[in-house]
Amino acid sequence: MDLARMAFLALAAVAVVSAFRVVTAPKIMHAALWLGFTFFLVAGVFITLGAEFLAAAQVLVYVGAVTTIILFGIMLSQAAEVRSREPVPVEPLEGTALWRRGVLPVVGTVAFVAIMIMVYLRAPWPTPATGAVDTVRLIGSALFTTYVIPFELAAVLLLIALVGAIVLAVRDDDKEEQGS
Amino acid sequence: MSDWLWGLFQSWGWSESAFNVVMGVIKGLLVTTFLAVNALVLVLMERKVSGRIQRRPGPLRTGPRGLLQTFADAIKLLSKEDIVPSGADVAVFVLAPMVFFAAATALWIVIPFGPQTIVQDLNIGLIYISAVTGLSVLAILMAGWSSNNKWSLLGAMRSAAQLVSYEIPLVLSIVAIGMMAGSLRLSDIVAAQQGGITNWFIFPQILGFLVFFTAGLAEINRAPFDLPEAESELVAGYNTEYSGMRWAIFFLAEYANLVAFSALAATFFFGGPTGPIFPPIVWFLIKTYFFIFVAMWIRWTLPRIRVDHLMNLGWYVLIPLALINLGWTGLYVVLRG
Repeated sequence: MDLARMAFLALAAVAVVSAFRVVTAPKIMHAALWLGFTFFLVAGVFITLGAEFLAAAQVLVYVGAVTTIILFGIMLSQAAEVRSREPVPVEPLEGTALWRRGVLPVVGTVAFVAIMIMVYLRAPWPTPATGAVDTVRLIGSALFTTYVIPFELAAVLLLIALVGAIVLAVRDDDKEEQGS
Repeated sequence: MSDWLWGLFQSWGWSESAFNVVMGVIKGLLVTTFLAVNALVLVLMERKVSGRIQRRPGPLRTGPRGLLQTFADAIKLLSKEDIVPSGADVAVFVLAPMVFFAAATALWIVIPFGPQTIVQDLNIGLIYISAVTGLSVLAILMAGWSSNNKWSLLGAMRSAAQLVSYEIPLVLSIVAIGMMAGSLRLSDIVAAQQGGITNWFIFPQILGFLVFFTAGLAEINRAPFDLPEAESELVAGYNTEYSGMRWAIFFLAEYANLVAFSALAATFFFGGPTGPIFPPIVWFLIKTYFFIFVAMWIRWTLPRIRVDHLMNLGWYVLIPLALINLGWTGLYVVLRG
């Protein structure tokens, strides 16, 4: 077994464990940190698969920005349940909780795994490129030629989200001023 | 040297993956040693420079002219008790300095010391740098939260707000460098500036350099942007509860970040490890240490900036300037042909 395959297996195994810890960690802060760790490991998996650009983007966006904002949000949150350092009490598995925390997740997971396997079996995978390829250049030219319209649409969508976030934040401030 | 070792390993009948593992360990050790030696020099330099600026001689008693001061400091730190506060979240508290140090060290993978002297010449160098600098925020948040102390938490929050705000102009100024060189690889950026001072990126990128330097100082928490630590307001911020070696690791990583930031300023704008007469590594050190000195000079002559001013500077001044610079760079690259 070569080094890349061993690294892939190790990273993937730890990523699965870490992702499991995200949903089982009793403290929300720990869950957020496990999430960041999982993102990081997924970036590692990308590297072993030869997608360095994707790995760097994953770390930049998911570890550097998303996880930081989640942690920041938890720290700013006023809700006692979120702020508390004590583990959140677990409600017993009965009534709606059984449906919500028992059945739905199992159905969702099975459906997701089934879809992923189907995609894996059916999709026309491109043949791996031979020799040294400058993936960044390939991605760049693909984004600005073949996929320029989806790319610009995504940019506009992000701009709308940005403006929306500012509008929401400003409106909250005004309300507080009127209230006080 | 790499080729010579590869030959040696082949004669021993080792496989290529074993060779890669051993080379990785060797390079890691070399970088860590480089950083540790630099920290030794920098602690003394910081004290001497601050002494000079404040019209006092600085440390003199330990060794000739105080040269052994850092060793005394290091021994003091090593022999101190390692205190973990009783209310702390132990696992996160212990991990935070390690994550911080790992983030600081990871940056050194792509920094070129010379034409062939680079740990791994990644083709995504610039994106890698932007990605890795974001990791230290996470470590600071971990440290601040796990200490279970309001000053630490406040310091961590300030730090997150500051680092997230200043990362935007920093990355925008780095993007302009990528446009100038037409590559994200750091060795290509150095190669693009070869052939005398006139080819250095500082001249077309003077605006970019100012944005990079200001935002960079904020990213590495150096005064006048040291609000996350601010002794006089926050009792040292996120590292209040750290003592002994754990604190020293934060300290070491901050100096590693300072050296990395200076080295990047030299690489991006001042030709990196190129110059006449001396070998590349000497030029690398001269240029890097020049920027370290400038950072120290700024630290000891400017007062700390206020929190709201800090945010205004980031969002209203640096980001627009960085965007203007990006537009100018595009124009420049098109006109240059």
